[in-house]
Amino acid sequence: MNRLLLMLSVALLAVMVIGSLAMAQGAGSYDPKKPDLQFEVLSPWADVDPIPLRGISPRLTSFDGKKIGLYVNTKRAATPIANAIDKELKDIFPDIDTIIFHSNLPNVNEIETENKEKFIAWAKSVDAVIAIVGD
Amino acid sequence: MLLANEGFVNDAHSAASSKGVPGIRIVGESVACESTVIPEIEAGIAAAMDDVFEALTSPLSPEEKSPGQQTGKTPRIAFKGSLQEVNRFFYRKGWGDGLPIIPPTEEAVAEMLKGTDFPPDHVVAKIIPRKGKATIEKIAVNAVMAGALPTHMPVLIATVEAFADPKARFDTFEVSTGSWAPSLTINGPIRRDIHLNCSSGSLSPGDIANSAIGRAVGLIVKNIGGARKAIEDMGVIGNPGKYSLVIGEDEEASPWEPLSVERGFKKEDNTVTVFFPNTFIQSVPGGTDAKGILSTLAAMGTASMSSVILIPSWAKVLAEEGYSKQDVKDYIAKHSKPVVMPGFEEMASSDRIDTDNLMILVAGGPGSFIGLLKSVGPRFFNNALVTKTIRLPKNWDKLVAKYGIFKPIYERY
Repeated sequence: MNRLLLMLSVALLAVMVIGSLAMAQGAGSYDPKKPDLQFEVLSPWADVDPIPLRGISPRLTSFDGKKIGLYVNTKRAATPIANAIDKELKDIFPDIDTIIFHSNLPNVNEIETENKEKFIAWAKSVDAVIAIVGD
Repeated sequence: MLLANEGFVNDAHSAASSKGVPGIRIVGESVACESTVIPEIEAGIAAAMDDVFEALTSPLSPEEKSPGQQTGKTPRIAFKGSLQEVNRFFYRKGWGDGLPIIPPTEEAVAEMLKGTDFPPDHVVAKIIPRKGKATIEKIAVNAVMAGALPTHMPVLIATVEAFADPKARFDTFEVSTGSWAPSLTINGPIRRDIHLNCSSGSLSPGDIANSAIGRAVGLIVKNIGGARKAIEDMGVIGNPGKYSLVIGEDEEASPWEPLSVERGFKKEDNTVTVFFPNTFIQSVPGGTDAKGILSTLAAMGTASMSSVILIPSWAKVLAEEGYSKQDVKDYIAKHSKPVVMPGFEEMASSDRIDTDNLMILVAGGPGSFIGLLKSVGPRFFNNALVTKTIRLPKNWDKLVAKYGIFKPIYERY
């Protein structure tokens, strides 16, 4: 009797394991006896809504008398890097002007924050921008 | 132009493209990330200046002036091949997580879609950084790949909704150098329907629900959101929690109200609460009375945006000595001394524990250890715990009857 119960239990367990495997493999789409079975599979990669792509601004033809904007994010290395760039630029082009914009919010799109107006005004006031992210 | 550490150039290109300006010129520099050493910074910048001047002055190419527009569409059918070929194809495309995947065939995805009443083309959210459209079908494809069951679909949909909540700050945590992992805490009757392990070894491998839901979330983040390791997801060390960090509250063994009720839901509601920890520590309490347990919670460095995982035994000790969940949080807020790293003293000194964003979760099995999952916020990132309702499909009972019967049966040896 005990042996019969044991055999039944083993058989039940085997059915559950095989059933579980089949279930996990996608509702019977995998048959281990047919390893060459072909699968036509859907892409997991998402579509995106196309956004209008914009070109970048025309480049400078010289640095003489130009205003260069230095955008500094909240990473701690960003400000010293901006200072180093400022020094490099002014060593080579003494009449260059730099205007730093300090972001005070981590990981944001500046134009989506309370700084929007200030940011736009800064961007319009300069001839070129170097964005410094501190990483 | 943008100046970034040379290891972040790919990330910067992806960010620029996702914002519609793929041509932004990016110069890589060699300064150590977050460097505080001024001579090193100056040397690194001096070495990069020729490239900076070039980026600011060299004429634009036609593509930079007017980038070609893209459709944003992906072929629905990705590939046809054997099990091994499918796995190799997905791996090479960067669509996997290093483990074998279940082929997302039309048939398997159709079965997965039975886990929701939403139509396949319903867009749950657009997931950053790529702003990929998380349609029900794409969620289902990734769920099949992960080995998830149709009964897991409602959790996955609610999790995507949580990611889209600005308070979660998914935009920061998912791609941050801090290697934050999505942590899902599930409440409500669904835990039992899907055999979510809330007890011994909840966060270890071995249960389909805990394992496959988290794995599916990781694939969704990667394949729908486009956050790929070391390209856009710039986690420095990485985090094993990104494979799966899914737990349920052991409501039946808890002396307190469930997390979901604390957060304004009914006890019979199914919910998922999401945040992004990067640290998991465990400790035996200093004593097994309330004083010993509470002093350990305070000493573990518990802070805001943490989940304290208390085994039922310790929760009962605290409850029997008159402590509610809120009392425990208040004790932590008053006594905890957050770990302060050198250089960050000022930030830590002003960071008070916000008990609204501190979870006391009753889970885990026999034993003594207390667990603590830690994130950061809300002062710095203006983030919060986010809880969403898990909506079940009309055919839920049938699905549970079909998929809810399997759980491991371990034989003695």
